[in-house]
Amino acid sequence: MQLTTAPGMQSEIFAPTTPPPVWTPVSKPLEQCVVGFATAGGIHLKAQTPFNPAGDFSIREIPSAAKTADMMVTHGGYDNSDVNKDINAMLPLDRLHELVNAGFIGGVAKTLVGFMGGGGNVEKFRNETGPAIAKIFKDEGVDICLLTAG
Amino acid sequence: MIVQRTIEAAGIPTIIIAALPPVVKQQGSPRFVSPRVPMGANAGAPNNKEMQTGIIKDTLQCLMEFDHFGQSKALPYEYKHT
Repeated sequence: MQLTTAPGMQSEIFAPTTPPPVWTPVSKPLEQCVVGFATAGGIHLKAQTPFNPAGDFSIREIPSAAKTADMMVTHGGYDNSDVNKDINAMLPLDRLHELVNAGFIGGVAKTLVGFMGGGGNVEKFRNETGPAIAKIFKDEGVDICLLTAG
Repeated sequence: MIVQRTIEAAGIPTIIIAALPPVVKQQGSPRFVSPRVPMGANAGAPNNKEMQTGIIKDTLQCLMEFDHFGQSKALPYEYKHT
């Protein structure tokens, strides 16, 4: 039986595909883990250059020793009102410090990362922004990583 | 989520707290949780320490327990803009 009548014909309906699996197993208990944190919510230090709300694939390194009161948000893609009231709604740094003090996690990475997600240049995010963030966490011995985005 | 996948591929287990779970699922997030929150309050309502702590602790527990790609859990926290 012939199944193909027009070779190479594709549906005109956009059909998104999920990329192949990627997986790293957890190797130690929580209380021994150094936790990294990255947010696509456009958070940065007030002293740093704001993101370009029209599209920006750069990153901002945020020291975990910094105060949330010294941080702000620049992101054109969502309602910033909650983050403006409390940075912890998107970058819960104060909560992470409390969990270290409680012995729930081993530590917080020295450097956290803010970037502006929600689209933009996908190839740049995949080939430059993502690897740059991964390198920061690898270099600092991060065991597990949390993200807020999407 | 592109950046999450890159970090995971570099050898660090990752989990994302998502306000739009269908989007991160379709983009191939290895692990994600979804409290019922709007984008911008993924880690919990502003100035709600109890909710933020609960979401972070539950997320970390999920990261420890999930055993396969794409696994997710809806978290029992709800916040809406007023």
